[in-house]
Amino acid sequence: MDTHILLDALFSAIAAIGFAAISRIPRRAYFYCGVIAALGHSLRFLLMDPQGLHMHIFLATFIASFFIGLLAVFLSPLAKTPAEACFFPSLLPMIPGIYAYKTFGGLAMCILTDSQDAYNYYFYQFTQNGFICISILLGMVVGATLPIFIFKKISFQATR
Amino acid sequence: MIPLRPTQGYHMERYRDTASAAPTPSPLREKTSTPSEKEVCLFLAEYGAWLLGCGATCIRLEKNVQRMAETYGKKVELTITPRHIHVSVLDVLNSETVTTIASVKAIPVSFNLNTLLSQLSWEVADRRLGFDAARERFHSIIHSDSQSRWTVLLLVTLANASFCRLFGGDLWAMAIVGIATLAGYYLKQVLLANKVDIRVVVLACAFVSSVLGASCQLFSLGDTPAVATATSILYLVPGIPFLNSFSDMLYRYYICSFSRFMDAVVLTASLSIGLCAGMALMKVGMF
Repeated sequence: MDTHILLDALFSAIAAIGFAAISRIPRRAYFYCGVIAALGHSLRFLLMDPQGLHMHIFLATFIASFFIGLLAVFLSPLAKTPAEACFFPSLLPMIPGIYAYKTFGGLAMCILTDSQDAYNYYFYQFTQNGFICISILLGMVVGATLPIFIFKKISFQATR
Repeated sequence: MIPLRPTQGYHMERYRDTASAAPTPSPLREKTSTPSEKEVCLFLAEYGAWLLGCGATCIRLEKNVQRMAETYGKKVELTITPRHIHVSVLDVLNSETVTTIASVKAIPVSFNLNTLLSQLSWEVADRRLGFDAARERFHSIIHSDSQSRWTVLLLVTLANASFCRLFGGDLWAMAIVGIATLAGYYLKQVLLANKVDIRVVVLACAFVSSVLGASCQLFSLGDTPAVATATSILYLVPGIPFLNSFSDMLYRYYICSFSRFMDAVVLTASLSIGLCAGMALMKVGMF
């Protein structure tokens, strides 16, 4: 369990730093992005743990994203970057990639299939995965953006 | 209304508010300390066009521009549309208004540029940076935003391989995703350098990455081949437009919010088409 959390945190940090590089975040902020991603993703891991709270992925993602947003608001003045620069790469490891993949897979198979039973099955895959994917994405952006909205003064003075 | 000669890339008009005309001050100004409305308007429009182009949210743009305008003794009103910024600068002393429209710069997302331009606005407000110095600093900032493409390529490769691990991929899947990302992101860099449309770039990169990502399924490598295929294209997900879209919605910039959302949807559709085409070519099943 402990090893799992540590590995989860490590790979989240690496992923966040890589995606920080794509969006040309100042190098001094890489460390903060890595730390925020590691803590945020580990929190989600714990919240979803079947032997612990066993929370649904939507609620766990929303809570972890809110936590990431809070950390970004309060750490961005240290990194001297806008808060959104810190939380964006940290959020990416929580993107519901597999759900998105299955959504588009279901859609493609709906188009390609001839049998009604198979169509019903793939349509179910398409809608179920699609709804979960969209709700997780919404939970992520709402959760992470709310702290910036709540703590406007700190957020917009981070680069001062 | 006295139309002025348009400057390159800008449409400009000058208005004089006769109804509320205050006593007109001397036209003599010190260029460094009290810039004219026209100078401030052109500067703020160019500043806004770059700031919005590099991926800043509308609320940040408005706050930064207002902060600088107030320091130079002007009032500013902004209309932000997805592709243009409309800036009106009013001199509080003589009620003269200058209006200009600037096209938003089509540049890659850069939080470095966003940070430096935001810092510039605070330097103007807090340290009373003179107008000419601010303009000079602005030009040095927009010409200094560079990054080593090889470092980015390496970091993105590691990031997407880590992504694969986070989604439950084994070592084989991580290795294949690393290779697929390396090839796909390199292609993205080359195509963008050749000014290819971003939608075509995303489609082509998703196709290449998914073809390579399907190797695990094709050659029966490891126990998680589907995870490798699914995560090989995740570096192309347009995360920033999605996040900025919601931020703009929260502050009621609905037009920009919708525009950014549509941008993200179109890019996601390009990504999906590339992924499906790659999987169809490799005859790899979705489920």
